[in-house]
Amino acid sequence: MNRAHFMAQLRDGLSGLHHTDISDILRDYESHFADGLADGRTEDEVAAALGEPARLARELRAEVGFRRWEEHRNPGNFVGVVLALLGLATIDFIILLPLLCGLAAIFFGLSIACLGLVVGGSFLLFNLLPFGWHGVMGNAAMQLLIALGLISGAIGGGALLLLLMDIVAKLLIRYARLHFRLFDTANKSI
Amino acid sequence: MTESLQIQLKKGVLEMCVLALLSKGDNYAYDIASRMAEAVGMGEGTIYPLMRRMQNDGLVSTYLQESGSGPPRKYYKLTKSGANALKAQVSEWIVFETAVRKILGDAT
Repeated sequence: MNRAHFMAQLRDGLSGLHHTDISDILRDYESHFADGLADGRTEDEVAAALGEPARLARELRAEVGFRRWEEHRNPGNFVGVVLALLGLATIDFIILLPLLCGLAAIFFGLSIACLGLVVGGSFLLFNLLPFGWHGVMGNAAMQLLIALGLISGAIGGGALLLLLMDIVAKLLIRYARLHFRLFDTANKSI
Repeated sequence: MTESLQIQLKKGVLEMCVLALLSKGDNYAYDIASRMAEAVGMGEGTIYPLMRRMQNDGLVSTYLQESGSGPPRKYYKLTKSGANALKAQVSEWIVFETAVRKILGDAT
């Protein structure tokens, strides 16, 4: 495999990542080739020593996904972590899959519950306005307290949910790193 | 069996070896990779996911430096927490290595 072929395969494997991440990674490998050539090796020799580009791309993707989650903990980046893990596709991960589906269902249920609390609370608050539909639930003071209670419950629940997702993501990342195939068993090299 | 044991062992100490190399001075990935490839048979391409991870973990930082030829080179530098991690890993390694050597010594 020559330099252009290696770089093309690496680029393919990285597609979908943010373009700044891709160009950063490609630059690393380009300069590796440059250093290798300056060292008197051929492009084919350097490419062979680097290893399989598709596998490297999977590991790099996972690392970038983990960093994005650590920088911005949002649901999109959480999905990114899970997808990166799927990309690594170790056998153990297939065993983990039912557990992950269960966790995803729990997260989904809890976020729906939080949303429900916010909607319910807002409805009660809205009812307190002069043109509202009085008498839905006891007197005005009671209704206000219930509404505030529901909304603060949702905020607390949301915060707890985010905390939980963070813990789960950290565990998954640690697990995945243990399973990176840093060593190429077929070639008996790392 | 022995092959996989050897692989697992090497994998475990990869990070420690890179930290140790960097503790002797800042370096760029190509040089680190060729030293590691020579010493423990690491695939050279592996250095980049590894360095990225160590950077994510705050063990190393990077800076660009002009090179004699071509574009500026990315150098890796050990951070304070990287130096602490190295110290902790080396002392763990020494305890482990001493224990294993003792058992092997008893056996032979």
